[in-house]
Amino acid sequence: MSERSEALATLERVLDLLPANAAADVRLMRDRTGTMRFANGQIHQPHLERSSIVSLRVVLEAKIGIATAGDLTPAGLRRLAASAQKLARVAPADPKFPAFESDDGPLPKIRFSRATAEMTPEGLARLAAGALDGAREVLPDARISGAVHVGTEQLAVANTSGRARYAERAFSQGSVLAELPQRDPPVSGWAEGAHWDARRLDPAALGRRAAETVARSAPASLKPAAYRVLLQPAAFAELIGFLGFLGFNARGDEEGWGALRGKRGRKVAAPAVRLTDDGTSEDGIPQAMDYEGHAKRRHPLLVRGVAGAPVTDLRSAARAGTVPTGHGTPPESPYGDWGPTPTQQLLEPGSASFDDLVKRVKNGLLVTRFHYVRVVHAGKSTITGMTRDGTYRIENGAVTTPVKNLRFTESVLGALASVEALGRERYRLGDEGGYASITVPAAAIGRFRFNSATAF
Amino acid sequence: MDDLVRLGLAAAQTAGIQYADIRVSARQRYEHLAVRNGEASALTRSDRAGVGIRVRSAGAWGFAAVSSLEPARVRECARLAVRTALAAARYNRGPLEVLETRTPRKGRYASKVRRDPFEIPLEEKLEYLLAAEQALHVDPAVKNGHASFHAWSEEKWFGDSTGGSFRSEITHVGAGMDATAVATGEVQRRSAPTSFGGDYRQAGWEFIQALDLPGQSSTVGKEAVALLSAKVCPKGPTTLVLATDQLALQVHESVGHATELDRIYAMEAGFAGTSFLAPGDIGSLRYGSEGMNIVADATEPGGLGTFGWDDEGIAARATPIVDHGTLVGVLSSRETARKLGLPESGGTSRAEGYYRAPLIRMTNIDLLPGDHSMDELLDGVGEGVFMATNRSWSIDDKRLNFQFGTEVGRRIHRGELGELYRNPIYSGNTPEFWGSMDAVGDGSTWHLWGVPNCGKGQPQQVARVGHGAPAARFRNVAVRGGQ
Repeated sequence: MSERSEALATLERVLDLLPANAAADVRLMRDRTGTMRFANGQIHQPHLERSSIVSLRVVLEAKIGIATAGDLTPAGLRRLAASAQKLARVAPADPKFPAFESDDGPLPKIRFSRATAEMTPEGLARLAAGALDGAREVLPDARISGAVHVGTEQLAVANTSGRARYAERAFSQGSVLAELPQRDPPVSGWAEGAHWDARRLDPAALGRRAAETVARSAPASLKPAAYRVLLQPAAFAELIGFLGFLGFNARGDEEGWGALRGKRGRKVAAPAVRLTDDGTSEDGIPQAMDYEGHAKRRHPLLVRGVAGAPVTDLRSAARAGTVPTGHGTPPESPYGDWGPTPTQQLLEPGSASFDDLVKRVKNGLLVTRFHYVRVVHAGKSTITGMTRDGTYRIENGAVTTPVKNLRFTESVLGALASVEALGRERYRLGDEGGYASITVPAAAIGRFRFNSATAF
Repeated sequence: MDDLVRLGLAAAQTAGIQYADIRVSARQRYEHLAVRNGEASALTRSDRAGVGIRVRSAGAWGFAAVSSLEPARVRECARLAVRTALAAARYNRGPLEVLETRTPRKGRYASKVRRDPFEIPLEEKLEYLLAAEQALHVDPAVKNGHASFHAWSEEKWFGDSTGGSFRSEITHVGAGMDATAVATGEVQRRSAPTSFGGDYRQAGWEFIQALDLPGQSSTVGKEAVALLSAKVCPKGPTTLVLATDQLALQVHESVGHATELDRIYAMEAGFAGTSFLAPGDIGSLRYGSEGMNIVADATEPGGLGTFGWDDEGIAARATPIVDHGTLVGVLSSRETARKLGLPESGGTSRAEGYYRAPLIRMTNIDLLPGDHSMDELLDGVGEGVFMATNRSWSIDDKRLNFQFGTEVGRRIHRGELGELYRNPIYSGNTPEFWGSMDAVGDGSTWHLWGVPNCGKGQPQQVARVGHGAPAARFRNVAVRGGQ
């Protein structure tokens, strides 16, 4: 029996355990993941994991219960079904919860990297070693840290309306930090990347780029103020990621805290900002469907700076009177309780080279990435965080001297409204589990506020 | 489970492996009940089991995990763990050294629980949450009311290749509520007992009952509405009095993480960051004022960071971290303790579950109480701000520059709490901030909080940790209002 057939057969067995009056959807998530983490130039924390989890959502007379289990034996599945029904029987009714949908056509075809799926521990260690070697090529004395993650997920989703879907996806992600801690103050550089095919991740190139970003002279103090900035892709991706949660989460509109509540269809960013969510694009980390079995498709978020509709799952789409956009999360996760958010964001590149962007900023700051970014005010899309791993002055149209790290507190929408130019090259960035990706160029922004500084 | 422990260890002890340990999670349960605006927003239960095997070769650690208790899968898990260690060791320079420590022989630890939260009828738990949430809606401006309950339990068997073994059954619970009030152009939220889903404890349903969420709801709803029209917190260096819940987070971010020895040794540099501390600072660095006394206590009754043995088999203990303002200790593991030259590990290695390797995690990091009542803390303030309940938090990667926002602020004027402030924010630099603490609240202001969501590691994992903290007063702090 193929893995697909076996997975769908398991889900059918779960649904068969339910009474005739139950509506339900059920998913099987089979993950194989590996990480080689390194620090101080050594691979110090390898990690391999194999997990199979079944998650069942049962609806009994508009009352919903959700149970998750890792025991796929007949006894385990019976306990799962019983547990979900027990929860449903006591739940307050949710009369607005919609009916589950059957399949409405084939899923988009997503290329699946067998090479990634067949990655061995030895192969993964080789990737990590490549990152170390790449960084050492450029800076032999640097302290190198980072990680390479590789994995696959087999996802099967079925429901009592006849849906039975199966999809596989593969992902890889790497990051490298190069530091010279012996300097006073210490200096560092960073690079990261992601790809759905681990053979194309190129950790050695990430290592070289991280080392090249390390300042060669001592960073100077800089007065916190509003500056023109060139945000490298890793930094710009932070803003786009937070915009996704604060502005395009359907729950934000529903509950009143969203940053784009009342602004749909209005210009909220510069016209150059053209942002979509597209789970089918190979420019991100593609996946064919969400965790409710809805097909992924292209969904506009910002069309020439104009705010589009939020992304939805089954429940939020019904409440909004729309159709699900394919952003259902596993219903039992804390992320499910926060609502659906964009998962594969892609920002259209501009036409500027790196030098063009630097000249455009003329006098300001080049930021490699941000650290520990958190929400200050959701409704105003205000976030705060620190610069990290390579912050430089731009003076008279050239990158000059390094500066000590600064804290910013800025509105995401405010920053996007002052985007002046975008780079012509996009970089694919992703999380370690391959659940979400953001593909963005670098961005020249007219005004970005820094409100304090740190000592290094 | 003892047989499975022996089977896994036997499979792991192959050529090239010097040490192995195994954690069998026979049952790892999680329950999350939440209501939002009268509807159930989450009624979920999770029941998992699995095995995590860690091995050590001469040059590297290895780790593998599988979500199964089937012997064949456990043997495969052991083989994968060995392969990862040997694969990593090929590229490592230098030996991997750890402290050799005697681990327990058939130890046993169990949480003290009066009412098992998983046995409480669901109807009773939901009734409690619905009562709490309903009473938040004191005004049409409260657009969103939310009340939630979480419970975790794990039955774990540990064994290592030196013959050590223990069994533990740990239960954690937590509950909280929040009201979000919305007016044109403004959104304010007020939470209780605090944010991040409330308060948490190693206890049973009795702890949740004692929180009495329904009894506090209307106050929470009223405060959320009042914040909509409150004045924005004024700007300026001023005297700041922090409530116990916000101070707990301050301890977490600017002391707990900074004193994790793996951060100090740059083992977390690639993700969470490092520390402004260096090993040579222990015993000499001035961390804060005389009133600053911090202890890491894994034996504290009811703490989220309390256990019998850590996930390396090291017995729980209390370790002084800051003594009258001087750094005197750190959080360590067998590997990092060896590196520092400590005689033994500090016993702070924990994993989120069988599916993660253990890392140094905070236990219960407590700021010990001082001798000022709340009235006395306020009495010493001519003009200042009181802040409570965290809303936003951010700190640099060496744990120096921080900025925190709270849900609520109040003016302090001549020793009295006055008008409400909204969007209060304070910021600073860690040693300077702690050095500005000139009065520490006494036992009447002190509370043991639980923080359920401390993230670290790659792949990421979450630890539940405890923080006991009083209220305290700080001078000349940068304060402002977020616009």
